[in-house]
Amino acid sequence: MWETISLVTASRFLGAGLAIGFGAIGAALGEGYAAGLANEALSYRPLKSGDVLKNMLVGQAIAESAAIFALVIAILLIFGGGEPEHAILAWPAIGSGLAMGLSAIGSGIGAGLPAGAVCVGIVRQPASANKTLTTMLIGSAVCQTPAIFGMVIAFLLLFLDFSQLPLYPGWATLLGAGLATGIAAIGPGVGNGLTAMEGVTGVARNPGTYNDTNRTMLVGLGIAQSTAIYGFLVSLMLLFQTVEPNSALVASMAPLGAACAAGFGGIGPGMGIGYVGASAVRWVARRPTATATLTRTMLVGMAVTESTAIYALIVALLLLIVV
Amino acid sequence: MEDLTYVPQLTFEILGVHLVFNTMTILMTWIVMGILIVFGILARHKIGIIPNPFQVVAELFVKAFYDLTEDALGPDLAKGYFPLICSLFMFLLLCNWLGVIPYLHEPTKDLNTPLSLGILGFVIAHYSGIRAKGFGTYAKEYCEPIFFMAPLNVIGEIAKVVSISFRLYGNIMGGSIIILVVSHLVYSLVLPPLLLMFFGLFVGTIQAFVFTMLTLVYISLQVK
Amino acid sequence: MDIGGPDFIKGMAFLGAGLAMGLGAIGPGVGEGFAAGKACEAIGKRPEEAGLLTRTMLVGQAVSESTGIYSLVIALLLLFVV
Repeated sequence: MWETISLVTASRFLGAGLAIGFGAIGAALGEGYAAGLANEALSYRPLKSGDVLKNMLVGQAIAESAAIFALVIAILLIFGGGEPEHAILAWPAIGSGLAMGLSAIGSGIGAGLPAGAVCVGIVRQPASANKTLTTMLIGSAVCQTPAIFGMVIAFLLLFLDFSQLPLYPGWATLLGAGLATGIAAIGPGVGNGLTAMEGVTGVARNPGTYNDTNRTMLVGLGIAQSTAIYGFLVSLMLLFQTVEPNSALVASMAPLGAACAAGFGGIGPGMGIGYVGASAVRWVARRPTATATLTRTMLVGMAVTESTAIYALIVALLLLIVV
Repeated sequence: MEDLTYVPQLTFEILGVHLVFNTMTILMTWIVMGILIVFGILARHKIGIIPNPFQVVAELFVKAFYDLTEDALGPDLAKGYFPLICSLFMFLLLCNWLGVIPYLHEPTKDLNTPLSLGILGFVIAHYSGIRAKGFGTYAKEYCEPIFFMAPLNVIGEIAKVVSISFRLYGNIMGGSIIILVVSHLVYSLVLPPLLLMFFGLFVGTIQAFVFTMLTLVYISLQVK
Repeated sequence: MDIGGPDFIKGMAFLGAGLAMGLGAIGPGVGEGFAAGKACEAIGKRPEEAGLLTRTMLVGQAVSESTGIYSLVIALLLLFVV
């Protein structure tokens, strides 16, 4: 019933649609938020419109980058690919579309938050505009890391040769590889954005605490990536493990279950960890003398929040290795 | 790349008991222990008001962790638990950093190391709790806030051990897999040193600190 | 793909285990994160009370964890017992 060539081409188009469809959500939300805050900033000080507009555009450009990755993947999906001979090649296309598209949601929203905060910050404290802008650039750049994980998986799915993989359960491992990183990258993207936003606001309020605030922000951002890393890890394990042909339902559901566990397990903890980082950075900027206590509490709080993501990783590893 | 899950092992039977040794992990752990012992000896060598470099580093660790321990446990209890906390951190820090040196692997890449350290912390915390509060009060705490929450509290305690061990294992093992796979893909150009810096040094430090802090906090929860 | 019989049950059990733990991790993640964030804020306002505030945060997070633990128990049951 399904001809191989039309099935594979159709799924490439489906993947392209998923990639750019999901990928457009986050960037638009983030950039809109930045534009809204830029207007609020201008309402305080209309004469600074040149600076505010310039910084808003820089911030929005960084938020756009995740969507541009998704656009690149979509174009590669539509126009790439030679004569497909195996039905299995349908699934990497869908997987890569999902991986890139879903991971761009979080990074887009996340990079928009500091972009808005920098506009308000510059208006509040024009003399320290450089410091504020630097903090935003650092924070937004780290925010893109989950989208980069998604892009790496998307490229791996596009360009590695999967034609030797058996169809059952190969379809589940390839789809799962895309889902795991894609879904897991949503939470950390937004969480990183929260932390970076408070970092920028803190530096704008209190430029003297630039070093402390930046350091705490970077530590917080580093830990927030862990849940995205767990999803990336499960994706890599799904891509590179040896797959025996097995047409039982069990063999297909196990990788899919692992991908769902690692993927969904990254959403909540990612956002929660980001909120902890945001609170800690905010108060480091207000009370730099308490930096040590705040950093300690931030680390402990982040670690406990991450526990459910770890349980999800354990279930995923059990499904992949033990069962 | 296929040997991602390969673990060199040494198996033998003694008196009918089947023993398996993970030789790579044991060797790396001995290397870490050796480095720490040499560091300790050098720090104590010619100890004085004008310190030698190793003494400076050692004093840095001791001061930072004594303050942390005193903060969490109070001055009288801190003296007892401080050596555990400080040596736990130094051991874990060096374990996680060992992967940066070529041909050496982190001992924490094997699940046995973090799990055994987690169980160590768990046993110490609960033993101290029973000793400080008496068995009756200790057992009654599991029935808070309501009687039939008891099995959930027990599972919660076990979940604490599982979560700190797997957090350390997952981060270090995951980091090394990511470094391996990405280096293979970019033919070892440009990216590997940056990845090693982030995953090896930065994540390693943070995870060692988080593990130590959580052990300290769990002990202080039981003892206070 | 052969669908049917006891193999179907086992396959769906695996998928269910993955979904149970995956979706079950969302709630505790956000909730515990909010608790820790507010704890950081309280410590920022009053750094000298750090010990009390950290302990309260941990107790609150432990209770919030309970649904996550239910999900873990169900996932493990689905993996190994069903």
